[in-house]
Amino acid sequence: MASHGVPRVRGVENSAKSEHAKQKEQEKIAKYKTLNDTVKTRIADKQYTLDTFHHTSELLTENPEYYTIWNHRRTILLHLFQPIPHDDPSTESTSDSAPSPVPSPSVQHIHDLITTDLRFLIPLLQKFPKCYWIWNHRLWLLSQASLLLSTPTSIDIWREELGLVSKMLARDARNFHAWDYRRFVVSRHEQQTGKSLTEEEFAYTTKKVMGNLSNFSAWHYRSKLIPRLLDEREAGKEDRKRMLDAEFDFVNEALNTDPYDQSLWFYHQFLVSTLQPDASEKIATELSNRDRVARLEAEIEAIREIEDDTKDCKWLYQSLLKYSAILLDVEAAQKAVTNEDLSVWMLQLETLDPLRAGRWTDLKKRLNM
Amino acid sequence: MSLASGPGRGGSFIEHLPPELRLVIDKHVTYVQSLDTRKDELEYWLTEHLRLSGLYWGLTALHLLRRPDALPRDGILEYVISCLSDSGGFGAAPNHDPHILYTVSGVQILAMIDGFEELDRRVQDIANLQTDSGTFTGDEWGETDTRFLYGALNALSLLGRMDLVDVDKAVKHIQLCANFDGGYGTSPGAESHAGQIFTCVSALAIAGRLDLVDRDKLGEWLSERQLPNGGLNGRPEKQEDVCYSWWVLSSLATIGRLHWIDRDKLRDFILQCQDFELGGIADRPGDMVDVFHTVFGIAGLSLLAYSRSHESNALTHDMPTLAEVDPQ
Repeated sequence: MASHGVPRVRGVENSAKSEHAKQKEQEKIAKYKTLNDTVKTRIADKQYTLDTFHHTSELLTENPEYYTIWNHRRTILLHLFQPIPHDDPSTESTSDSAPSPVPSPSVQHIHDLITTDLRFLIPLLQKFPKCYWIWNHRLWLLSQASLLLSTPTSIDIWREELGLVSKMLARDARNFHAWDYRRFVVSRHEQQTGKSLTEEEFAYTTKKVMGNLSNFSAWHYRSKLIPRLLDEREAGKEDRKRMLDAEFDFVNEALNTDPYDQSLWFYHQFLVSTLQPDASEKIATELSNRDRVARLEAEIEAIREIEDDTKDCKWLYQSLLKYSAILLDVEAAQKAVTNEDLSVWMLQLETLDPLRAGRWTDLKKRLNM
Repeated sequence: MSLASGPGRGGSFIEHLPPELRLVIDKHVTYVQSLDTRKDELEYWLTEHLRLSGLYWGLTALHLLRRPDALPRDGILEYVISCLSDSGGFGAAPNHDPHILYTVSGVQILAMIDGFEELDRRVQDIANLQTDSGTFTGDEWGETDTRFLYGALNALSLLGRMDLVDVDKAVKHIQLCANFDGGYGTSPGAESHAGQIFTCVSALAIAGRLDLVDRDKLGEWLSERQLPNGGLNGRPEKQEDVCYSWWVLSSLATIGRLHWIDRDKLRDFILQCQDFELGGIADRPGDMVDVFHTVFGIAGLSLLAYSRSHESNALTHDMPTLAEVDPQ
């Protein structure tokens, strides 16, 4: 476990641990090693029982990064999922006839194992929200639910996950494990129900960015959802243009509030990138060069307005130069930006952002300055 | 030979920074060596699942510090081989399950100490982790991630057996992980993240397909990771961390944009994260050190010195004389 944000403790204090503390640590080590040995021995003996399962719970609560134990846990579960022979003699005799609508005891048993394990993971995820192995185990449990339980039951289980992941994102809105998990759960839910969640997810990103404009994870997700949303709405040329206008308005309003926030600028850059003829993700379609020029000029003008009141924000000059370069590519004879503008902006940028001086030198070359 | 991979003992505080910032090479060597003697600490046992990667990080740090013999070759070889599993691949420690993360560490260590004989019959196990969509799983349980794809290509290229996998398919998968900002995420649709950018850009470099990278766009995004204190973060509006001195910096170097950040300020930031008393480097000044941040801090410094020496034909006097790393 790499230590992130753990304050340094002085060596002398550390080495001068009291005898009592040292003894305590040795006891903890002994206990941990005994538990570890118990699990290893039982697995080596193929004792895939509930008892061994509970020992893995204990060990993983101590150390959720111990990936081999998660593997053992899955091996045990796969054994516990097997129907128990002679447990219910009626199961076998009816197995050839039509499937009964009432869940057989073994299905109920599997259901209980899966949901109990999903519950076991929740406090662990809250304590270790960035542990890959816990998220991975959760996804495995859900895939087993899809495989082994009836479709409505498994859909219910998957749907509950959206609630969980929203809670996780409320605790840390940038946790990329949670965002990846969310996208996966949504796509599986859509596959199972045949119903798209794009509109709901789009609304979710609106809620998240309204809660915190710096949340680039939410802006990123939004950038991926919009093209899909428009396709699913079967949006025409006008609808698409309205969407693009609305998104520019949305982010420009946010930029007026905080022009120093790079999350907003990256989203703004995304919108501008969709204008390009070879853009891989498009919002408005059938754009003429005149449309492009008009849009770029409008954006440059909007940034200039912010600049009237804010002189110390490097993002303004960086964006003005970037968009001017695109504008010049589209329309060399444009009148909105003069060479003098470019020089002034470049000088401001070099003054405000000396860290990236090498990049500005390259940019000057690209703009023939 | 097994190194503790977590935090543990600490020395000097940020308030006690020496007046002149320099790399305390001998302290770092002692620090890495000391990691083998910490079995009396609970942390040693709680980080067993990282042991082989910890050894790779420690050994790489020693190589960069020009002290490759500071850990005994025999001890290393014995430990690495003891992590080989019967079913193929390396586990993190003896009797831990095999996983691509530790397999690549095992192969990298053996490459460094020239110990490949043992491996020839194992390479097929790595190749078998490739899925139909071109990416790689971490192990037989099926989790996929661009980290695993990179690990597999790295290990196979070191072993000279790239012919065993479908490289074109792997490259196509990486392209699906690309975003409008020029970066890459863990999987298609995922947000750009500097760690994942390192894995994707490096995998493309190994595959000889850097032509697919939008260097200006990616370079812009990566260069914005530098914060006023000189440190680098991993995503927009996040905190700086020494490990990005490798993930971000090596990606910038791979695409030829290392000069787009302030290298002196980054060097000073890394140097400030050292424990000047007991050695080792932390994520941020004043935090507890560990071997993970130690190697990536030193690798970052090495890359900075290397880039500067190419530019001015001489190492600047205040750069440590580290072994060179060339990400390509």
